[in-house]
Amino acid sequence: MLSDSNPSFAIVGSGPSGCYTAQFLRKAFPESLISIFDRLQMPFGLVRYGVAPDHIGTKAITSQFERLFERDGVNFVGGTEIGVDISLDDLRREFDVVVLATGLSQDRPLSVTGGSLTGIYGSGRITRLFNGHPEESLEGVSVGESLVIVGHGNVAMDLIRLSLLGPEELTGFGVPEGVAKTLSSERLREINVVGRSPVSEAKFDIAMINELAKIPNVKFRSDAVEVTCDTPEASKRFDAISKLVSQSDPQATREVIFRFGWTPNLVGGDSEVEFIDFTATNGPGKLRIEADTVFSAIGFMEHHGSAIRKADFVTEKTDLANGYLSQGLYCVGWLKRGPQGTIPANRADAKLVSDRIIQDLKI
Amino acid sequence: MSKKIVILFGTESGNAEFAAEDMAADITDHEVEVVDMTDFEIEDFSVENFYLVICSTHGEGDLPSGAVPMLQALEAENPDLTGIEYAMFGLGDSSYENYSKGSEHIDQKLSALGAIRVGEYGRHDAHTGTLPNNAAVDWTIKTLDLIS
Repeated sequence: MLSDSNPSFAIVGSGPSGCYTAQFLRKAFPESLISIFDRLQMPFGLVRYGVAPDHIGTKAITSQFERLFERDGVNFVGGTEIGVDISLDDLRREFDVVVLATGLSQDRPLSVTGGSLTGIYGSGRITRLFNGHPEESLEGVSVGESLVIVGHGNVAMDLIRLSLLGPEELTGFGVPEGVAKTLSSERLREINVVGRSPVSEAKFDIAMINELAKIPNVKFRSDAVEVTCDTPEASKRFDAISKLVSQSDPQATREVIFRFGWTPNLVGGDSEVEFIDFTATNGPGKLRIEADTVFSAIGFMEHHGSAIRKADFVTEKTDLANGYLSQGLYCVGWLKRGPQGTIPANRADAKLVSDRIIQDLKI
Repeated sequence: MSKKIVILFGTESGNAEFAAEDMAADITDHEVEVVDMTDFEIEDFSVENFYLVICSTHGEGDLPSGAVPMLQALEAENPDLTGIEYAMFGLGDSSYENYSKGSEHIDQKLSALGAIRVGEYGRHDAHTGTLPNNAAVDWTIKTLDLIS
């Protein structure tokens, strides 16, 4: 039954959007029962398993979230999968409001011929490996001499950097030794980073490009072309890439090549990756890159094995813009919005959904 | 009578707010209020208060989204802030170019409108892997010593 002054809240998922939602709800309801559930034993979702291990400034936001449990009377229930260990129906009976903050944890696959050859890995999986995720194993994973990363958003940028940092530096950031040696292999000589957008629309943050300049022994190249009608904002991306390229070390033995405006068409090889073919996103061009390893960094989707799928809860009353699914059931973060935006965007989303929840409870 | 301390925070991911809460908790001999810049009305600037401004940096040395409404209001209305005293603490991350420039946008505008900055410009570097909270609290204590 709804308790007027102290409604109870269950949040499913302890990543940033779930924890920020708990923060905002706690401010509005200082006495309420708030419990955050997570499938895994360790909280914080993508802050722990998605943010790159060398981005320690970003990882530090967990201290904010730890305060929820240590001081603000929010409960953390780990190792509990809603829909498996506790049914969502039971949860909705026990709590006045349930907020789904389960994110999007499956890599979008490279849906091309040859897309399941050995040597192709999803970026989410590789990032989880770097971050010591309990469900990932190095079994069958190896990185050779020539890596192609498909996609050029921030996740792709992280993988360039982490692949080139070297095992010693990586273990210094807490990466398990076996993972560091396998993924930041000494054999790696060339990384082609290939995205379907022109440079002006590429999704990387400029700060991530600038960060690559600090990596030793790397030569950068690019096929980016400056378009004179680009807005100043769009030109910034071309400028950042150009600066990286022009300040490159010509003696370096490792090379990173940015290629813009290419869409993957086919991965070739017998049982293992040998090459990947692209066609120009706009126009007739074709490109073949020889590679023994491919990382796909083309976004995320709901996990196919997930016990809870958003579409199952959409009704005519659903208002996804502010996270309302149905009576007492809401969604927030990537599950609600799609796999875009970093931590601040999800904080803003948590504020928006919390405001809607608070408003609904007042009626 | 001692001034009321108003802690104004500009945040993107909640770290400045988090530090502001700790700063407030450590102030015992003044009345304290913690205000999000997003919610702050610039007409409320008062010489009876002393402002501790804590603000992070976002993107390419830009203001965090939480601070943008306040800067826009200051730029639109250009109020006379003569007699207003404030102190600045900036959050940044030296692994980025344009280190810690976010708070400077606010500092420059407040000064331009006649407000006086007191004490040391506090800074915290997230690249140390530490949170800004302790540095911000230490700076708060030193700054308040100056005005007591």
